[in-house]
Amino acid sequence: MLFFLLFSLLLYVLLGGADFGAGIVELFSSRENKKVNRDTIYRVMGPIWEANHIWLIILIVILWIAFPVYFNIIIIYLHVPLTLVLLGITMRGVSFVFRHYDAFQDKSQLVYNGLFRFSSFITPIFLGMCFAALVGGKLVVTEDYTNYGFYDLFMAPWFNGFGILVGLFYASLCAFLASTLLIGESEGDIRNMYIQKSKISTAVLVVLGFVLIAYGFFSEIAFIRDFVTNPISIICIILSGILLIPLWKFIRAGRRILSRYFAGLQVVLVLFAALVAHFPYVIITSSQEISLLEDISPDSVIMVLGISLIIGGGIILPGLFHLMKSFKMIKIFDRDEQQFQK
Amino acid sequence: MENLDYARLQMAFTLGFHIIFACIGMVMPFFMVVSHHKWLKTRNPVYLKLTKAWLKGVAIFFVTGAVSGTALSFELGMLWPEFMKHAGPIIGMPFSLEGAAFFVEAIALGFYLYGWNKLPEKFHWFTGVIIGVSGVLSGILVVAANGWMNAPSGFDYVNGQFTNVDPIQALLNPAWFSQALHMTLAAFVATSFGVAGIHAFQILRGKAVAVHKSAFKIAISFGAIAALLQPISGDISAKDVAERQPVKLAAMEAHFETEKGAPLFIGGIVDEEKKEVNYKIEIPKALSFLAFGDFDAEVKGLNEFPEEEIPPVAIVHYAFQVMVGIGTLLALAGILFFISLKKKSWMDSKKYWWFFMLLAPLGFLALEAGWVVTEVGRQPWIIYQIMRTSDAVTPMPGIKFSFFMYVGVYILLALTVTWLMQRQIKALNTQKD
Repeated sequence: MLFFLLFSLLLYVLLGGADFGAGIVELFSSRENKKVNRDTIYRVMGPIWEANHIWLIILIVILWIAFPVYFNIIIIYLHVPLTLVLLGITMRGVSFVFRHYDAFQDKSQLVYNGLFRFSSFITPIFLGMCFAALVGGKLVVTEDYTNYGFYDLFMAPWFNGFGILVGLFYASLCAFLASTLLIGESEGDIRNMYIQKSKISTAVLVVLGFVLIAYGFFSEIAFIRDFVTNPISIICIILSGILLIPLWKFIRAGRRILSRYFAGLQVVLVLFAALVAHFPYVIITSSQEISLLEDISPDSVIMVLGISLIIGGGIILPGLFHLMKSFKMIKIFDRDEQQFQK
Repeated sequence: MENLDYARLQMAFTLGFHIIFACIGMVMPFFMVVSHHKWLKTRNPVYLKLTKAWLKGVAIFFVTGAVSGTALSFELGMLWPEFMKHAGPIIGMPFSLEGAAFFVEAIALGFYLYGWNKLPEKFHWFTGVIIGVSGVLSGILVVAANGWMNAPSGFDYVNGQFTNVDPIQALLNPAWFSQALHMTLAAFVATSFGVAGIHAFQILRGKAVAVHKSAFKIAISFGAIAALLQPISGDISAKDVAERQPVKLAAMEAHFETEKGAPLFIGGIVDEEKKEVNYKIEIPKALSFLAFGDFDAEVKGLNEFPEEEIPPVAIVHYAFQVMVGIGTLLALAGILFFISLKKKSWMDSKKYWWFFMLLAPLGFLALEAGWVVTEVGRQPWIIYQIMRTSDAVTPMPGIKFSFFMYVGVYILLALTVTWLMQRQIKALNTQKD
């Protein structure tokens, strides 16, 4: 069960992340590049964009089925940032589709584009904030709602410096993923543009990573202290830093598939480092640490869920793989979307 | 109003919104593949044009249904954490299967949308069929979760604890079949009449009549058949409710007194204080027959039940009347359509198109009314006779703000989608052949 949970979390961070990242890259591009990016991501991500966010649903479904007590805490105390995440996902999803399926291409495009870029940027920030809240040690789990104010219980845990840093970190991770992915999907000037974006986001990512660790360390956030003292986490992070060197070699050599795997692997390492630091106590509140493995559902439930996930996975993954294969690789030089638009 | 009221309003509002969009997203693919099939068979460009126009509609409704569904999967927990804590593991099964079906739908949609001129024609068409089938499948599975709330099963409830959980039995709960059948047919009725009505309007305006006539025929055929089947499914549902949730049935009928050979009330104004219904039409013994198949069967009245277990009677009764009334009207319209296939001259009459245009919103109205009946009719329970809605609500204050935010966002979304559809039609009308 844990495997499926981590698997869907990973896929969401990777694919959903690349999705968000594409919007972020677009937000921070010059006007001409914005248009280019718009067409590129439609071509590359269009066929699978629907599927990406379903990982989030699967993630949440596994959480509530198999780890109900844990889910209960998340869903009560992270109500506000999760609402914002939902709002962001909604806006992103609809603006992405509207901007391509509106019957007329006119001024309304400006609205869709603006919404798409902006919500792509803020949604991963709020997602990062949710994670930060879980491990930030500021959550107060209580039955006593009279002594604590709304702000203490529902805002303070996520709306703080640590949260914002984690949010920005995740957003730049998304940008890194997307730009590295898109390098392999483009040619000439556009390719150089994505290479440049990838460089910038890597730099931002590294700097933010250091600032994050330093900030957490000096603000005595338990999670960060465990993080820096956990040898596995440290090894993962250093490894992902070292992997930047072969990654750049492959990009320069034009090995688009291999560079993509490396970028993915790096993100996996970062995620793994963050999770292993405190496992299985993935929620850290002000007074206690709550284990993911505590209070899991009865075996009968886990069994059935496991079976349905395996069957579901057996149908879905080949389909998804086939979908990616059918379109992504063939479509690199394919320009006839415009025809279809008519 | 209290937090609980706002939480309920928010749930009702977002679900009410999602139902419309999800149903359209579920049924429109069927119109699309029929039209696509006709194009492949006849190579008449009208059908290709229509398929592509509907396809854009499918994409737009799919995304609105998908994002509002994602929001709902979070909202269940965010508004009703106590419910999800206990019910989540039990009814996780339909939700995870629904997720899988939805995933298949998304993948198929990816193939279909981007596969024009790239995939083999027949395979491409077939991916369209998968969109429709998996869409309906996910609808049926989600209804299973709602059926469980009406007919909780698959666990033992001892001292406030849920033990011996059997997710498969929970999935196969007794209310599932009747509810899923009723809901699926309702989706077809509402969407078909809605789409057909829009095309009828275009025919009235005399724009691109050939395309719109083909569109009308495809859409209304589905609706007419579903509308004729719906009364049968309604009868199954009524008998099911009568047996399992007598208090809901009594509220639907606004029946206060327990009676043998109970009459059926049509219309009427409910007076909840005095516990009576004024200005109603009574059909003797009809209710006993409809509910139990026996003219003299005893129907329990609301007075049999403790005060705190009775749902808001007036709302449920009116909603039920609206649903049944519209259902009957649409079934008659279905018959009218079939006759008009023989008597072709009817289709030259403006009245015919006016009639179908006016019917367009009614199916959705009935759909919403039906949900009100089943949801409000279950109150005060969130899990029938196990957990009260008021015990399930989130402890977080200020749901008011979240409610108004959702209302704002969804209204904006609904307006945008309507506007987009109007632009699609405009594009369809101005296109050259």
